[in-house]
Amino acid sequence: MFLMPMAMITIMALIQDAPFKDYQEMKIPLLLVNNDTGSLGKSIEKGLIDSKIFEINKETLTDDVVKQKVKAGDFEIGIIIPKNATAQLNQNVDLFVTKKLAAAGLGDSTVSETATTEALNLSILFAPDTKKSFKISILNSLKQSTSKIETQTLLAFFSKELNKDSEQINKEEPLAEFVNFNEVTTIETPTEALQLNSVQHNVPAWTIFGIFFIVISMAGSIIKERDDGSFLRIRTMPGSFMTVLAGKITAYLFITIIQALLMLLVGMYLLPLLGLPHLIIGNSLLGIAIIIICTGLAATGFGVMVGTIFKTHQQSSTFGAVSVVILAALGGIWVPVYVMPESVRILSEFSPLYWSLSGFHKLFLNQGTVISILPYAGKLILFFIAMLSISFFYNKKD
Amino acid sequence: MNSNAAIEVTNLIKIYNNAASPAVNDISLTINKAAIYGLLGPNGAGKTTTISMLCGLIKPSSGSGFVQGFNLNNQLEEIKKSIGVVPQEIALYPTLTAFENLQYIGNMYGLKGADLKQKIAEHLKIVGLDNVSNKRIETFSGGMKRRINLIAGILHTPKILFLDEPTVGVDVQSRNMITEHLHLLNKQGMTIVYTSHLMEEAENLCSDIAIIDTGKIITQGKPKELIQQHNCSNLEQLFLQLTGKKLRD
Repeated sequence: MFLMPMAMITIMALIQDAPFKDYQEMKIPLLLVNNDTGSLGKSIEKGLIDSKIFEINKETLTDDVVKQKVKAGDFEIGIIIPKNATAQLNQNVDLFVTKKLAAAGLGDSTVSETATTEALNLSILFAPDTKKSFKISILNSLKQSTSKIETQTLLAFFSKELNKDSEQINKEEPLAEFVNFNEVTTIETPTEALQLNSVQHNVPAWTIFGIFFIVISMAGSIIKERDDGSFLRIRTMPGSFMTVLAGKITAYLFITIIQALLMLLVGMYLLPLLGLPHLIIGNSLLGIAIIIICTGLAATGFGVMVGTIFKTHQQSSTFGAVSVVILAALGGIWVPVYVMPESVRILSEFSPLYWSLSGFHKLFLNQGTVISILPYAGKLILFFIAMLSISFFYNKKD
Repeated sequence: MNSNAAIEVTNLIKIYNNAASPAVNDISLTINKAAIYGLLGPNGAGKTTTISMLCGLIKPSSGSGFVQGFNLNNQLEEIKKSIGVVPQEIALYPTLTAFENLQYIGNMYGLKGADLKQKIAEHLKIVGLDNVSNKRIETFSGGMKRRINLIAGILHTPKILFLDEPTVGVDVQSRNMITEHLHLLNKQGMTIVYTSHLMEEAENLCSDIAIIDTGKIITQGKPKELIQQHNCSNLEQLFLQLTGKKLRD
C-alpha cells in the first residue's frame, strides 16, 4: 500500500527524466573504430569523450563487423575513422589553400584552377530503430567536434602560405568541407528500412503490457479459490499441486495468446484505417509464436506467484498492478530503454517485459529469426520456472 | 500396525512456522476400521490440524503414523486416494453447477463415463438434490451446499471419510439428513473421522471419541463409558468438565 507507490514514483521519475533531458546529459553506447594514427583520429576521439554524450567502446574491427554490431542493437551508433585520415585531411587542406592562393596570384601558380579536393568520409552507422531527429542531433554534435580540427588545419596551412603572400586571398570563396560523416546504412532489405514509429513500438509494447495484466486476474482467481475452499478440495484429491497448476496455467496461457493475436491484428488492420502506419511483423511467424507463448508463460508464472504469496485480493491486486506498471516502465513500454539513464538501463535488464519487447523488436524491426529471439525466450522461460519454484516452496513451507 | 486399525498415529506433533507453541502436541491414537470416531475440542484445540495431518494436507513436524496402511510421512498420494474429505469450508466451485462440481471431482479420482453419472445421480437423490443438479452452487442455501460438500467427499467410495464440522450452520433437517447418511455409510463399512462442537450430535453419532485441548488428547474412549467414568449425565457435561468453562477465541 505504501512501499509500492513509493517505488513506482522513484522509478517513473528516473525513467521519464531521460526524455526531458538534453542529449548532452545522456550516455549513448557508441562503437568507435579509429584506424587513423594521426591528429584527426585523436581529435575526433577526444571530441567524443569531451562531449560526454557517449559511452565509448573503442575496438579494432572490420567495417562489416561494426555494421553487424550496430544492426543487432549492441550499439546505438558506430563510427569508423579510415586509415590515414589525418594524412588525407592534410593533403586536402594543402591542396585547397594552395589552389586558393594560386587563384589570387600568390604561391604556386602551377596548381590547376580545376584541381579538386575530395572530402574525407568518416563512416557513421545508426541502429535500424534510431529516430531521424536523434540522428540529426548526433550528426550535428559530431560535426561540431570535427570542425575544430578542420579549422585548425586550415589556419595552419594558410599561415604557412601567408608567410609568403598575405594579401590576395579571395575571401568571397566559401571554405571547403574537408571532413564528412557519411552515414552507412545498416539496412539491407526494404523492410529493414522500418523506423520505430508509434505503431511499431506501441503495438508490441502494449500487447506485452496487456498479457502481463493477466497477473491480477490470475492471482485473484487463486486467492478466490483459496477463500471459497475449492483450492482445499484440490489439495485433498490425489495428484500433485503442480499438475493442478499446469491446468490453470494452460487456460490462462490460452487467454494471453488470443489477447496477443487480437492486439497484433489491431496493429495490422485497424490502426491503418485510422490513418496510422500498419504494423509490420517481420518474417518469422514461428518467432512471434514463441515470444508470445514465452511472454504468456512468464506472466502466468508471475500471477501464480502473486496469488500464492498474497493472502487477500486487495493485496494481490495492488501489488500485481503496481509491479506490472514498474516492470513495464523499466522494460521500455513507455520510453525506449536506450534513452533511459544508465542506472535504470541496468535495471531494465531484469524486467521480463524488456526481454519480451526486445524479442518483438528483433522480429519486427530487425527482421530477426527464431535464433535471434532465443536469448529473450530463454530468459522468459527461466523467469516462469523461478516464479513456479517460489510458489511451490511457499506452499510447502507449512 | 494393528490389523484392525484404519488409522494409527504415534507422538504426532505439529509446530507451525513462527508459532509459540505446538498446534498438536504429542498425540497418539488408534481408530479402528468401521468406527465413527469423534475428535472433539474447543476452538483452537488442534482438531483441524490433526485431521489435516491425517489427510496428508500438512506434514507433521514429528511423529509417525499410518492411514489405511500407508505411511503418513511419505505415502501421501496413496493416502489421498483411499480417503474422502469433507472440509469445514464449502470446498466447491461456486460458479459451476452441482453436477459439474461432482463430475470434476469424480474425474480427479479416476471415475468417468456412465458409472460416474450414475453415482452422481444416486447420491444427489439420497440427499434430495436431484432436481437442482443443473443449478449453480452459488444459488444454493447453506444446507444444500453442505449436502453437496458431503457427496464430493464420498463420491469415490473412500475407505475412510474425514469430516471437519460437517453440520456447522445448517438447518435441523439438513443436519438430520447428513447424520443419517453418515450412519448408512458407516454400516457399509466406511470408517468415519469427525470433528464437531455439537456434543449431542457427537454422542448420538460416534462409536468412539477423543477430547482434545491445547493440542493434547485429554481423554478417549467410548462416549457412554467416558460419561459414566466421569459421573456425568451427557457428553456436553463431560466436555465442560474436562476442558473448563473459560471462553475460547
